[in-house]
Amino acid sequence: MASTHGRRFFLRGIAMYRAVLDDTPGQSSRPTMESTRQVATDFTNPEAQRVGDANAADRPTGPRRTPRKSLIVVIPDNHVVSPEVVAESLPKTDDHELVDVIVACAGQPANLTAITRRVREVQVLLAPAGTSGEDLRELAIRRAPGDIVTLLSGAVVPTPTREFEMLRSV
Amino acid sequence: MSRTLALSVVVPVRDSGSSLDGVLTAIRASEIPADAYEIIVVDDVSSDESVTVAARHADTVVRLRGRALGPAYARNRGAELARGDVVAFVEGDVLVRPDTLPRMLALLGERPDIDAVSASRDERPGAPNFVSHYWNLLVCFGEARHGGGRAHFAAGCGAVRRSALFEAGLYDEWRFSTGCVESLELGQRLVGAGRGVVLSSDLKVTHLRHWTLRSMCNEVWHRSMLLARSLGYQRMSSAAPSDVVFTLSRALTPALAIVAILTLTAAFLPRPYVVGKIGIAIAAIFLTNLPVHRFYARARGFGFALASAPLHVCVQAVSAVALCAGWILRDAFGDLLPDAATQAYSEVGLETWPPVRRRR
Repeated sequence: MASTHGRRFFLRGIAMYRAVLDDTPGQSSRPTMESTRQVATDFTNPEAQRVGDANAADRPTGPRRTPRKSLIVVIPDNHVVSPEVVAESLPKTDDHELVDVIVACAGQPANLTAITRRVREVQVLLAPAGTSGEDLRELAIRRAPGDIVTLLSGAVVPTPTREFEMLRSV
Repeated sequence: MSRTLALSVVVPVRDSGSSLDGVLTAIRASEIPADAYEIIVVDDVSSDESVTVAARHADTVVRLRGRALGPAYARNRGAELARGDVVAFVEGDVLVRPDTLPRMLALLGERPDIDAVSASRDERPGAPNFVSHYWNLLVCFGEARHGGGRAHFAAGCGAVRRSALFEAGLYDEWRFSTGCVESLELGQRLVGAGRGVVLSSDLKVTHLRHWTLRSMCNEVWHRSMLLARSLGYQRMSSAAPSDVVFTLSRALTPALAIVAILTLTAAFLPRPYVVGKIGIAIAAIFLTNLPVHRFYARARGFGFALASAPLHVCVQAVSAVALCAGWILRDAFGDLLPDAATQAYSEVGLETWPPVRRRR
């Protein structure tokens, strides 16, 4: 019995010592709002243009208590993502603001404004039109700071059928 | 995000960038509706481009930081995020066929008595070199000869009901920080809990890993030592006789007995006849390994079987020494445990990300 207590005490001692060395792993390392508002340039892809104020990838990534989460919304050409779908993909709890949302799109998607209006502090990566979904994903994950990164792909915009075009012309 | 799916495919990776694109493309080519499954890639602190490759295909990418803690740990982190009723584990160097995952799902759907199913290894390896062919066939031999109806849950590609996985306590990340026998151990626990575990000979997957003599001996060493030290040779031999360690050691036992008899008789014979005795010993080893060599000859031809014979003896020797080392270490130091800092964090219950390795 005594040896069990002794071992437990010894292990607690090691844990406390390591915790001090690791710069208090229990504390959150989220940066201040001032640092996140700095505008950054994406050097990984000179053709990509970033809109928004969060330079999430440059935030410090020290030990933390809970995993940091990122949501990447991928919208290639002729694809669309409903703002409701994006909102549903975010946690419903108070963690809402802890998720870094990145929208990576090729060209200028139609409902980008609706998404940015629905989800606050969204980071937008604008790639040239014609960039594939896979390339957008790769581009976005390089900017995503999260430990758990969820990737959400847009749905194809239904193209008008020939009959629809004929009816419209009438 | 809480919507349940039919299947979650968890792919633990570590420096698998070269093969990962093909592996994930093959999973995406599975004959399952795209909205019925998800791919979760767990990156165990890769130093290559595995994360970016994973992002091209996966629905979720988990980036573990710090130091690598092994595939058992990575699989558990993926399973914790899984939304599927069935969780499939596919290694970062294993190619599934378009019908592998759907057939696994169908089998689990049709047979309520089965809770875990894994795919056998295709006889064609992904790498063209001799050692890869040899290793691949060695594993195939064990699976073909002893794989039916036992607790063999293959690490390459296996699917398990989520409820059964969590009731069994997930993978044992506490003891197994290297990728060797943790899937066997999980299979044994599932069977112990009354769950059905099947290694299907109809379902095949291709392993892409390039084996060298050194990496193969290293694998055999670790597998044999962990088996002897942590799992118990006799217990695992009856639970999962298809494992490669048993394929190697099973034939070694009678060969060693014959060599021992020859050595003993040397004391009573007037002339040593050393060359003759060595010849008898080699013939004994060859004869006890005959089923393996015949399997090789059928699969790759007589020349391959002949060329692989010395390599087989070499690998058997490594396995035998490692088994002995494992037994000695078990008696001297007991079972494997994580380092003192990990034990300390676990004891205190410190909440951090990535989480401290958990005891089962």
